[in-house]
Amino acid sequence: MDNLHPLESKVLLALIRQPDGPPTLDQLEASTGLEPSQLSMAVEWLLAKSLIAVHSETVAHIASLTPIGELFFEKYAPIERVLSAAREAGQTGKRLTIQDIQVKEALEPSDVSKAVGTLKKEGAILIVQGGCIESTGRNSATAEAMRSLLQELRSGQRELQSFSEPLRNVLQQHAVKRGNAREPFRIDERVTRSFVLTPAGKDVADQLSRDGVAEEVSQLTPELLKEGAWRTKRFRKYTISLRAPRIAAGKRHPYREFLDLVKLKLVSMGFQEMRGTLVETEFWNMDALFMPQFHPARDIHDVYFVKNPTHARTIAEPYLTQVTQVHEKGTGAGSTGWGYTFDAERAKRLVLRSQGTAVSARTLASGASVPGKYFSIARCFRYDQVDATHATDFFQVEGIVLGADINFRTLLGLLNLFAREVAQAKEVKFLPAYFPFTEPSVEMHVRHPKLGWMELGGAGLFRPEVTTPLGVSVPVIAWGLGLDRMAMVALGIHDIRDLFSADLEFIRTMRGSF
Amino acid sequence: MPTISLQRDDLEALIAGPDEKPARIPLDQLEQWLMLVKGELKGHNAETGELRIELQDSNRPDLWCCEGIARQIRIKQRGSAISYPFFKKPKGVAGKLVVAQGMDQVRPYVAACTAVGYRVTASGLTQLIQTQEKLADIFGRKRRSVSIGLYRLAPIVFPVSYDLVKPDDVRFTPLGMETMMTLREILMVHPKGVEYGGIVGGHDRLPVLRDAKGQVLSFPPIINSLEIGEVQVGDHELFVEVTGTDLSMVALTLNIFAANLADRGAVITPIDIHSPVKTSFGRRWSTPIDFGAPRTIPLKAIESALGEALGGKEVTSALKSYGYTVKSAGQKVAVQLPPYRNDLLHTVDVVEDVAISQGYARFAPVMPSQFTVGGLSRLEQMADRVRHLMVGLEFQEIISNIMGSHQDFCTRMRLDGTEWAKVVEVDNVMSLSYSCLRQWITPSLLQVEANSSRAFYPHRMFEVGEVAIPEASVDVGSRTVTMLGAVIAHAGAHFSEIHSCLDLLLYYLDRPFTLEPVEHPSFLDGRAGKIVSNGRVIGLLGELHPEVLEHWQIGVPAVALELEIDRLLEEV
Repeated sequence: MDNLHPLESKVLLALIRQPDGPPTLDQLEASTGLEPSQLSMAVEWLLAKSLIAVHSETVAHIASLTPIGELFFEKYAPIERVLSAAREAGQTGKRLTIQDIQVKEALEPSDVSKAVGTLKKEGAILIVQGGCIESTGRNSATAEAMRSLLQELRSGQRELQSFSEPLRNVLQQHAVKRGNAREPFRIDERVTRSFVLTPAGKDVADQLSRDGVAEEVSQLTPELLKEGAWRTKRFRKYTISLRAPRIAAGKRHPYREFLDLVKLKLVSMGFQEMRGTLVETEFWNMDALFMPQFHPARDIHDVYFVKNPTHARTIAEPYLTQVTQVHEKGTGAGSTGWGYTFDAERAKRLVLRSQGTAVSARTLASGASVPGKYFSIARCFRYDQVDATHATDFFQVEGIVLGADINFRTLLGLLNLFAREVAQAKEVKFLPAYFPFTEPSVEMHVRHPKLGWMELGGAGLFRPEVTTPLGVSVPVIAWGLGLDRMAMVALGIHDIRDLFSADLEFIRTMRGSF
Repeated sequence: MPTISLQRDDLEALIAGPDEKPARIPLDQLEQWLMLVKGELKGHNAETGELRIELQDSNRPDLWCCEGIARQIRIKQRGSAISYPFFKKPKGVAGKLVVAQGMDQVRPYVAACTAVGYRVTASGLTQLIQTQEKLADIFGRKRRSVSIGLYRLAPIVFPVSYDLVKPDDVRFTPLGMETMMTLREILMVHPKGVEYGGIVGGHDRLPVLRDAKGQVLSFPPIINSLEIGEVQVGDHELFVEVTGTDLSMVALTLNIFAANLADRGAVITPIDIHSPVKTSFGRRWSTPIDFGAPRTIPLKAIESALGEALGGKEVTSALKSYGYTVKSAGQKVAVQLPPYRNDLLHTVDVVEDVAISQGYARFAPVMPSQFTVGGLSRLEQMADRVRHLMVGLEFQEIISNIMGSHQDFCTRMRLDGTEWAKVVEVDNVMSLSYSCLRQWITPSLLQVEANSSRAFYPHRMFEVGEVAIPEASVDVGSRTVTMLGAVIAHAGAHFSEIHSCLDLLLYYLDRPFTLEPVEHPSFLDGRAGKIVSNGRVIGLLGELHPEVLEHWQIGVPAVALELEIDRLLEEV
């Protein structure tokens, strides 16, 4: 019963209340007030569910006018026109052949000959010598029957049985049959069924009449809930297979989601976040990292210089002095130094931060904890043409680890941890590498599940020429992870510029698998 | 660092050495060996046999050539350094090179030698030229510190002089030209003169190398003479010189060339350098010169840096098979670099060479064991709170570039000529599109809006990101501020919509605030406000001015909010 459509309920109730025996569709239409299409739908459903059955099935023949019949009503049927032409000719004394009638009345030869045959048989006309037609003055029963049929059917279809037999005969003779469509009448069969409730249907109908029929509603409203009226309502069922309408969510940027995950991983591994500034001095960006002011190693850090002011006012002491000395003579760090004259003015030159290691250098100088682990996700700038693999500014994930237990093997151990935790990689390869501020230096390659072997990052032990002038006396790991490629794979993109896309539709639909 | 091109056959022959038959080296084997030189195979052309190799180490110019790579691999295979007799006990000198008085003011140093017996092949010549270019360009900083000349030896009559002359006094036919030119003309007309003239330009007198007959060898560091200074395939007697501004760099560069030519079979004979002033090599010395000094290192320093008790024997053998001269004595090792290297500044440099020689796989990774507490900065924590609230307010997060154009950050925002238009600008602009740092976030979001008219509305977006605000009182001239920017755009976008967001955001952050009207050119007058909290302006919001929207070609109304997250950390 839960599955009854409201239409079905209506029909069932109409059937139980029918006092005059099994009703036909027409009767049901009247008693339910349903549209014929709705009614026949409901009846078919109920038949399929065996809640109702066909009680009787009668076939009636219904007569109606065809378009030709409509035309005959307006312009008279061929038989009427032949008869009237013959009568007209008789009054004027004209001789009239069959051909004349055909031409005058613009009739088909077959129609004319059929009409002439009928009229002659009924004695309304005579065929005289020369094939001329003469009116006898008598009436034609067929022509009269035709006229009354045309008139009666024009006002609507009627059952064939309701006509008198002579009329019925004329109707049947002039009805559309196979092979002759040019007739004024048609006779259709109409099946009339009457319906009764099956025993199961009766049970359902009884229940319905007892409990009443729920009214169909589409939306549950506070009123329905408040008054409890929902109990008598029926909730329209939805076509839930349709696609949902689109909505926009408030959400994080997928790339930021990725970086948040990296952040979480690093914090969970005991790293403390550090932050720096977008504009840096060459001192912290390079000098403090023991990159000599003259050396080609600075070529790989083609940097953007700031226009105004061009220089910082001061570089904090004792760092300026200590870095100067270590560059010039290696003083204090057990080094030979670079053996050139350090330019303190150049150290003050302002640049856009080109490497996250600048943030690490500042942290070292500002009293980093020992043991200590630090990271930054720092925006950096490189003097590069923007293309699919170079963005004007980008995130560098970098950091340091300070501790008495730090050495080359613990460096490799830390990188193993990164490979496992950050890249979910099981296989790791360590290659010799070069960075101006670390020695030894390592490049870490991991086997990525989708990309195969790829470089995950670079690391090394800070040269003592970096740590000593900044007041750090324990070994320090410096590490950097190149995560953009991993992010691009996770986000399904191929152009680094898409990480910073300005296309809202693209950002709304981009999703990561990480 | 440099990427060089070389021939696989050539490399294989050099790895085999003069006495062995070259063998085909599989590429994966080669890639393994390239770890010894911090090299990466970038490309291989099977048809031509060309290999492209990138060398990482900017302190090892000796490796930026086929000979150097092959040498490092060969030494590893034989387990000991290759000795070059001309560094130790040369059999006489090939001639004298006299440096003129006053040269210390222009381009002080020179080193030279002769190389006889190697008949230059086409691929050998290509390599010589490539090495010359890479060394002068990268190591020599575009010839400023170091430049190199190669000559046919036969026409040269010793002694050669490294003279200073007036720009119009000397004429010769430079490479690439057909007529005699004065030095002045070369500086003005010759492509190399135009490119490198700045290095010596400005001096009254310019350097030339001339032989005893007055024939010009070259005008360093600009151009060689056509007659003597054009080495060709088939030549088998060469003269090599290096000039520059740094004595050890000049000497090192010649050492590298001498070793390279010796590896190809040439006999190297030194040249005596006569200097008018005393240098760290004295007044007279001959080049090539082994100017390295032994360095004594405690074994323990190496072992503790590596975290592995290798023992004296393994350390010694590792360094020997990497080209060092090593003497082990108890708990110390005395090490000396081969003469073609000069990159030993600190013990750690030796430590790395031990590790590279043994292979990094020799060292088992160990987890650092000390406990540390991880955490985010207060600023990042606040930024994350704001981000999460904005997501809850149904905004889509955006990430934009911080670098952009004055046009976007100021002009389109109607800010030109106002106090709001102060931005950090770049001096060496590459492209006008990326010439300054954003001072607020709204333009970044309008950029998105301008690109997204086809994305269904409403548009609600935010970015929490860094901006740079110029401020004279700050040492680096600007403050880096973490800022929230938010924009709502749709046909009915309205002040109260963004106002409600701000209200709720600051309610949850427990930050009481008031709005004060502000006349800001980016916003409609009377529909913009400063966000004031605890007596400080911490942001602003308003309905964007129709002209701003027009500038961005945005077809719907938009409202914006800008809030300094750093300020939210301050005590109320």
